[in-house]
Amino acid sequence: MGRYLRRRLGHSAVTLVLATMVVFAGVRALPGDPALALAGEERDPASLEAVREQYGLNDPVWLQYLHYLKNFLTGDLGRSVRTNIPVTELLVSALPVTLELSFLALLVASLVGVLTGILAAVRRGKPAEWLANGFALIGLSVPNFWLGLMAILYLAVAVPLFPASGYVPFREDPAANLHHMVLPAVILGFGLAAVIMRQTRSSMLESMSTDYIRTARAKGLAERSVIGVHALRNSLIVVVTIVGLQLGALISGAVVTEQIFGLPGFGKLTVDSVFQRDYPVIQGVVLVTATAYIVINLLVDLLYSVIDPRIRVTGEVA
Amino acid sequence: MRSAPPRTDRPTPRSRSRAGHRPALTALACTTGLLLAACSSVGSSSSGGQTGSDVGQTAQSVKPGGAVTVALSAEPDRLDPTLARSLYSRYVFNAMCEKLYDLNAKVQIVPQLASALPTASEDGRTVTIPVRSGVKFADGTPLDAAAVKTSLERHLTLKESARVSDLGPIDSVEATSPTRVTIRLKAPFAPLVAALSDRAGMIMSPKQLKAKGDDFGSDPVCVGPFKFAKRVPQNSIGLVKDPNYYDAKNVHLDKLTYRIITDASIRAANLKSGDAEVADTVSTEDVDQLKSDSNLSVLESASLGYQGVTFNVGNANGVGTAPKVGNAPYAKDKRVRQAFEYAIDRNVLVKTVFNGLFDTACSAISPASTFSSPQAQNCRQHDPAKAKQLLQQAGVTMPYRFSMLTSNTPDSLQFAQALQSMVKDGGFDMKIEPVEFTSLLDLQDQGKFQAVQIGWSGRPDPDGNLSTFVETGGSQNVAGFSSDKVDTLLRQARQSQNPAQRRTFYGQLQTALQDEAPLVYIYRQRNLTGVSKKLSGVQVFPDGIIRVARAGFTQ
Repeated sequence: MGRYLRRRLGHSAVTLVLATMVVFAGVRALPGDPALALAGEERDPASLEAVREQYGLNDPVWLQYLHYLKNFLTGDLGRSVRTNIPVTELLVSALPVTLELSFLALLVASLVGVLTGILAAVRRGKPAEWLANGFALIGLSVPNFWLGLMAILYLAVAVPLFPASGYVPFREDPAANLHHMVLPAVILGFGLAAVIMRQTRSSMLESMSTDYIRTARAKGLAERSVIGVHALRNSLIVVVTIVGLQLGALISGAVVTEQIFGLPGFGKLTVDSVFQRDYPVIQGVVLVTATAYIVINLLVDLLYSVIDPRIRVTGEVA
Repeated sequence: MRSAPPRTDRPTPRSRSRAGHRPALTALACTTGLLLAACSSVGSSSSGGQTGSDVGQTAQSVKPGGAVTVALSAEPDRLDPTLARSLYSRYVFNAMCEKLYDLNAKVQIVPQLASALPTASEDGRTVTIPVRSGVKFADGTPLDAAAVKTSLERHLTLKESARVSDLGPIDSVEATSPTRVTIRLKAPFAPLVAALSDRAGMIMSPKQLKAKGDDFGSDPVCVGPFKFAKRVPQNSIGLVKDPNYYDAKNVHLDKLTYRIITDASIRAANLKSGDAEVADTVSTEDVDQLKSDSNLSVLESASLGYQGVTFNVGNANGVGTAPKVGNAPYAKDKRVRQAFEYAIDRNVLVKTVFNGLFDTACSAISPASTFSSPQAQNCRQHDPAKAKQLLQQAGVTMPYRFSMLTSNTPDSLQFAQALQSMVKDGGFDMKIEPVEFTSLLDLQDQGKFQAVQIGWSGRPDPDGNLSTFVETGGSQNVAGFSSDKVDTLLRQARQSQNPAQRRTFYGQLQTALQDEAPLVYIYRQRNLTGVSKKLSGVQVFPDGIIRVARAGFTQ
């Protein structure tokens, strides 16, 4: 297990360096630069040049990258060119928003997805399954932004149940924070719920046709126990894998959801910094996102061993 | 019960103290000064700013206290008057960083932290600004001439300063007494007073400048009805009422929050749901819907800016390099550009694309400007037959093909498509090249375009709307346009001592520019601001800035 973990960590470090290099070069290949984006319509050449000089934008790209690496190793991610706020501060302020949104969306998606999945499997061929399948179809095919706009239109404007947009930090007012997060979490979780539902349904159907389920039923276990303990537990391993893989989609979905609901999270920070060519912020965002992806994948692999004891014994992924 | 008075007729110590001196100062400024915009401002400053449906809400009885959320369409950049570049930071500054001079509803310049309009020497090279006394910064330190000097010198010397070109050819700034600042210029510069009514005229606390240095924007301290409280990156900027403010008794609200909501329909939704009381830049598509809501109103004010099409006449190697007239017909033959203008029916465009909410524009000078004249508003009327005739005379094959860069926002694209279809009748086959905004800036600065659709938010002094764009070597002369006649007229207008003469020069400029047509001005946006009817006293003047600091909730 230790060797496996070390190897995975080594791979992760290489992936991280490659990701920063690609993004570093990529954003600089875009037309325009932070000075130009910052200046907008007030493009006084002398002050543009001063901005470029201050942020080292006139240096060759490889030299800029070396500076970035050097600063990064000393814990300095630089400052936003647009607002002059330290990138670390921006990341620290954006990260909890996206984590909370993703966590809540995942919670919504897992609850709704697993429950409707079980229902569809147990009530196969009945109206409940058709309903669940219909829900999955809508969840998979309707884009986030449309659902978000509809939710705002009907649940914030027409019937003012929730705030139309905005964010209140949890530590300032937990109730207001959750009130603001309900709509975004449900909207973001909706698509994922559909994926989980379909996966749970097919895994459950597969499990329920196996011999050990037949045995469980034969020895007189209650149906609730058969489904809830035996069938579901064995189906969940696939579902957890899918959830792990879908976390990436969740984070990219958060980009759109955060824009619509004005949540100052990672997605919004990414989009805004790309439009502003705010190189230090883009680089910071990519560093954290790449790290998050790698850690999540690692955690999912480790979670296998918790759910399936055979993996714990051999120390290898099945 | 107190009323929310319109901004410029509030009974302040300043207006009381200067009332008796004003005519003399005006006469002095008009006869000897170069500060021409100021001359026409005085009468109106005493009669008060304009409130009305087009600029602001009618003042009603308001109650003290309350918090207002203003939805902004983009995040302000640094809250440092020397370094700020975006329009959105100007919204926030308006409530917390007062300036030496301000604009009123008629785009006339009135004193704010200065106690009166400036005076100038005979040769126009020495300008004296009287500074108000008894004014304190939000940190409790006094505002005096030395503080004004500190701020102006920072604007001029800080390496990244975005204010250097605003302030023009300043040679030195001196605090000649605690209430008097003397500015010496290398050459007469009429637009100076207009610059001092924007960020260049904002005075920062020397104590805070010393404490924060280049990081002043993280915790700005100025003189204003409100003071900075906190900034949540990407999300909001919070201000609280400043008890040190000299006119605090006429500030009704306790708290102002500027919340960033980039999507226009979401801003409108926030207004409707009551999550925001004010929203900037309402989309023309949302105006009817908001107007039909009994709790909301939409303020409309004329803008000083313009939108139009710039042709690449001589920008061969990028802005800042010597103009070199290109070989393409649209570059070398003004008849092609004139034909393009004849092919445009501005009224139809504005009606169809913007529901008639914007104004047509034929020049860089807004009719709202005190320097406007019939000559400055002269317009080439829609005449597709004439357009074709001119193209024929220019010897080009019809339909004449060229491409136009445009921003890829829905509004810009819709406008470009309508324009594309319209100019067909005039013999043009225009290809649209949509690009993201920063890329567009880059391409146009490099000269990699044939035509580009872009605009300018506008400045109170016409020089700010013309020189940088059409003067040879102008920092934003992306057309690569160069004309001795235009350059001479611009210089004369900039240095002239006489407002009437300046008006004449700008009229002549319009005639010269219209003949060459490097820029075809098409429409002028109106500043559309959504406001809750619970609020009274919100104003938007043609400079586009939302003035909310003196608003209050109605009784």
